[in-house]
Amino acid sequence: MKREIYAYRCRKCGHLHYPYRMVCAKCGENEHNEFDPEPLPTTGTLVTFTELYALPGDFEVPTLGLGIVELENGIRITGQLQIDEPAGGMKVIGEVEVVRSEEYEKYYGMIFREA
Amino acid sequence: MRDVYAIGIGITSFTRLEFPLSEIAAYPVMMALKDAGIRKVDHLYVANMGSGRVNHQTGLASAVVDTLSLTPAGAEVIENGPASGGSAVKQGFLAVASGMHDVVAVTGAERMREVNNLEVTEFVATLTHPLAEYIYGVTLPSLAGMFTRAYMDKYGVTSRHLAMVAVKNQNNALLNEFAHIQQAITVEGILDSPEALTNNPYVADPLRFFDCCPVSDGGASVILATREVAEKTGRPLVRLAGIGQATDTHCVHERDEPTDLLAVRRAAAQSFKMAGVSPSDVGVAELHDAFTILEIVESEEVGFFKKGEGHLALERGETQIGGKIPINPSGGLKGRGHPVGATGVAQVYEIVHQLRGEAGKRQVADPRIGFTCNFGGFGNNVVCLTFAREN
Ligand SMILES: [Zn+2]
Repeated sequence: MKREIYAYRCRKCGHLHYPYRMVCAKCGENEHNEFDPEPLPTTGTLVTFTELYALPGDFEVPTLGLGIVELENGIRITGQLQIDEPAGGMKVIGEVEVVRSEEYEKYYGMIFREA
Repeated sequence: MRDVYAIGIGITSFTRLEFPLSEIAAYPVMMALKDAGIRKVDHLYVANMGSGRVNHQTGLASAVVDTLSLTPAGAEVIENGPASGGSAVKQGFLAVASGMHDVVAVTGAERMREVNNLEVTEFVATLTHPLAEYIYGVTLPSLAGMFTRAYMDKYGVTSRHLAMVAVKNQNNALLNEFAHIQQAITVEGILDSPEALTNNPYVADPLRFFDCCPVSDGGASVILATREVAEKTGRPLVRLAGIGQATDTHCVHERDEPTDLLAVRRAAAQSFKMAGVSPSDVGVAELHDAFTILEIVESEEVGFFKKGEGHLALERGETQIGGKIPINPSGGLKGRGHPVGATGVAQVYEIVHQLRGEAGKRQVADPRIGFTCNFGGFGNNVVCLTFAREN
């Protein structure tokens, strides 16, 4: 099964959230769980980025590319980058893959590459 | 509400300290009580972020109140990330202003160097959103790196401006015997020299080593009291005149404008409004420069300079001791150090010191209004305080 990341649409006003919230950030009127999940699109534009050299201990790579991407539906997401020379405004495409592995657990998230 | 005064201050050296965390928290309280000329308080607030995780000690306030023999005074820990100090001062203010207590001690302390740098980075990274940031390897420096790049693209801030903040604050720290970093640096040395890539390596591009505050141990305290108690000390009267606090989205990517720090803007505006002053009245400020970019941007968001022009004021020397609005005469987080729970109280220490005219070699010329900005998370929880000298 293809893994996806979900955004959450308020059933009262239609506002789309990523990540999940218990109360709508726009109307504040909904009850708990009155959101409909919808998969995030995977294409978007790179807003800003960094190459991190001081990594958390459980990462076994020398450096890590991180960025904020504005997806085609306007939602922004933080993700990892596998791009040699990233630039603001670059078109990117993401895929849900393992982004962090701890002893007993794997975490899935979006990894972006140049489109 | 009753007026509330800062009547005593104390601080430890900010460095690597080989003392138990409870003593790092207690020692500056002893200094502050001595400074105020009193022996007892009604209540103790302890600002701390990492005792449970880093130092394997919980219930820190109970340990501190006991080692100071201040029992049976009430005591509790206030945890609000890197803004714990500002939050604890705010709680102390509320206790006195409300009439519940007449004299309270607020201390902030952290012992981060008990563990190695990787563990510290990991500990501080737990501030980020667990599912939408943390899992990716996002750390505070990486959020700062992304923010810096966006700021450079939009407003023309350069690495040279960032280095100028580092140089200014490390030079100020040379005038502060409690500051962690005692090293003179130059823009040329950390940017242009052949060794620059070695002595100033990238941490989170475009941020480099000298753009980031050090990891420090340390504690700082302030005694807050009513006017009646304050007058008995015979010291200059410094009133805590304004408090503002604001939050912002947990995830940095959710903010409408990636270059805004709205919580700083809102907390500062509230604090100035409560104090009945404007940013141009401020004679000395301590801003939360965990990363050099933050000093520039906070100086804009709090209203000292127009948005996007903070780096130009820096170029003109306006933020130096002796400039129009001296920022971080203590050395800031960059020079003094950043024991996370202590920082907000250390900022207050410096401002009270300055407003009393007791800051010695780094004294700013006769400030009447002082200001602090204590920045939690990556700007998702900010506390701003305004102090006024009254006599
Ligand atoms: Zn809604």
